[in-house]
Amino acid sequence: MMNNYIVRFLIGSLTSIILGLLYMGIGRKFIARIRRCYAGPFYQSFIDVIKLFSKHSISHHWIMDFGIMMGFSGIIATVIFLPIGNFYVFPDMKGNLIIIMYFMTIGYLGMAMGVSASGNPNSPIGIGRALALMIGYEIPFALAVILLIFANGSSLLYNIIQTQQGSIYNWNLLKYPFAFIGTIIALQGMLGEQPFDAMIAPAEIASGPMVELSGKFLGFGFLQHASQIFLETGIITAMFLGGGTIIGFFTKQLFLYLLTLSIASVFPRFRFEDGVKFFWTIPTSFVLFQLILFLIKR
Amino acid sequence: MELYSTKKLKDEGFEQILNFFRKKSLWMLHYCTGCGAVELPPTMTSRWDMERFGMGPMATPRQADLLLITGYLSLKSLKRVIYTYEQMQNPKWVIALGSCPINGGIYYDSYSVINRLALYIPVDLSIEGCMPRPEAIIEGFIKLMKQIENGEAVGYKKYQENYKWYKQNQDSVLKREFPVLSGEEK
Amino acid sequence: MNQKELIEYIKNNFKGIENIKSIDEKQFSITVQKERIINILSFLKLSNFKELALITAVDWIKEEKIEVVYILFSYEYEQQLIVKTYIDRQEPSIESIKNLWEIATMYERDVHEFFGIDFIGNDDKRPLILHNWKDIPPLRKDFDSLKYSNTIFGKFKKDKE
Repeated sequence: MMNNYIVRFLIGSLTSIILGLLYMGIGRKFIARIRRCYAGPFYQSFIDVIKLFSKHSISHHWIMDFGIMMGFSGIIATVIFLPIGNFYVFPDMKGNLIIIMYFMTIGYLGMAMGVSASGNPNSPIGIGRALALMIGYEIPFALAVILLIFANGSSLLYNIIQTQQGSIYNWNLLKYPFAFIGTIIALQGMLGEQPFDAMIAPAEIASGPMVELSGKFLGFGFLQHASQIFLETGIITAMFLGGGTIIGFFTKQLFLYLLTLSIASVFPRFRFEDGVKFFWTIPTSFVLFQLILFLIKR
Repeated sequence: MELYSTKKLKDEGFEQILNFFRKKSLWMLHYCTGCGAVELPPTMTSRWDMERFGMGPMATPRQADLLLITGYLSLKSLKRVIYTYEQMQNPKWVIALGSCPINGGIYYDSYSVINRLALYIPVDLSIEGCMPRPEAIIEGFIKLMKQIENGEAVGYKKYQENYKWYKQNQDSVLKREFPVLSGEEK
Repeated sequence: MNQKELIEYIKNNFKGIENIKSIDEKQFSITVQKERIINILSFLKLSNFKELALITAVDWIKEEKIEVVYILFSYEYEQQLIVKTYIDRQEPSIESIKNLWEIATMYERDVHEFFGIDFIGNDDKRPLILHNWKDIPPLRKDFDSLKYSNTIFGKFKKDKE
């Protein structure tokens, strides 16, 4: 029984990392095509990660090693609650949305702890912006989650997926379109893509949180980002696009990621306080409107 | 003093496999003091599209593998270049653009511009020209990739082994205590 | 006031000008004695040449003089005015004008670094641009830049490797 869980855990976490890296590579090619150039092969991200782990790296404090590991494992711990198609790491948990939302912050907090110990003034600025933005996008996202919990009478992703089965008209995307729009904008902030990339801003604060990370630390940062892409697109796929079989699930995830990138490649950058303000007004009012509509109908 | 040469320090064994991944993903930090900075944006963006080779610009020395010196270096910026180079993590490489880092270029008689960069930090590849065009820069990158694959680009090892010699050269320009012109020409 | 009227105005109201001439439509120059430099600059500042654009110097090695140049600008007349004065080359010193324009502190530091001119009253002599400089100031005409460069940075030699 125990062995069974360990194998399932490995499958879940490795799938998230490998597919996340694959999405990143495809995304880089996609952006390059938008800019009318070609970029590297689709497996470029794997090469980058192997190279990063082969480099020497410098650690400034044991808290730094610990924090980076905590950030990485925080995201992995969240991924194992996510239903990957019809595959569950813990079949009894069935993907509780509240646990997922709670665990998602651990990744950022671990990263914050790690990079603050590195001692470079740019990294606390970057991570401060990231946490401030998180307050911004968590509001519309949490409202959308509340709406779905209301509608289904359950906080389990399993149940939310079950009610969307049968036909495309059952998808929450068509049932609650305004909530979907709000959540997509929140996804843009979750992934840290433009216009909400004030936290990494290479020209202002020298790539923010990653400024002192070298070699394997940056490698772990890379893996964390890959896992994060898989996790966050996965949640929204399960919430609004009806989950689906394994292949369908991955396709929908990739679609969501490419949608995010195509928005990102045409926008400049918000200042982070403007970003938070934007999250609290436009996406929040979209989701609130849907919530009110739903309550009136009921 | 015995100086270790490239042949002695060549990469062997397991490093050879890793070198394949290293050459495919060179992240560069460009130190834009000179006029060569103008040639880099077209090399990076869609016209010449450097990302085809897995290369990309990086924001800080910690993340970068490749240091690009784009043109002349004054004494003050040499000091910063040495800091930057020492902050980068092994394995690391240096490319010098243009003729100024080779022999001083048009600044050969300037009192504040260094004449030869290779005396102070190990330069793996110099690209001649004033300035080299993006095609020449890309050809240089490909040459460096071949060197990395063969294990010949070992500037960082040279720097470690011959550190005394490099440090002596650096100190002779950065930390002098007497007027220069009373002495003899080198 | 156009330039002609300006030149007349300055000639009539300030005594001790050695030479005043027009360079082109928008520029003219004044040469004064070293002792009267603060007087002329404060007079010009009061007559609407409010901006100090630059302080620099020229080394005239044959005449054994250093020429100190103050460039003023007036937004009202749209005229650039070059005020010149000559000082001794062996012991170059001149009164500082940092009480007239605050920014002069920086320009004087710069000129002190590159020409070795002593500005009396400006005690800020920290080097601004050069790194660890021990020789004679580099923009003096008797400074041999090529020899300096060859001595410290070495002539180009081909590598053995």
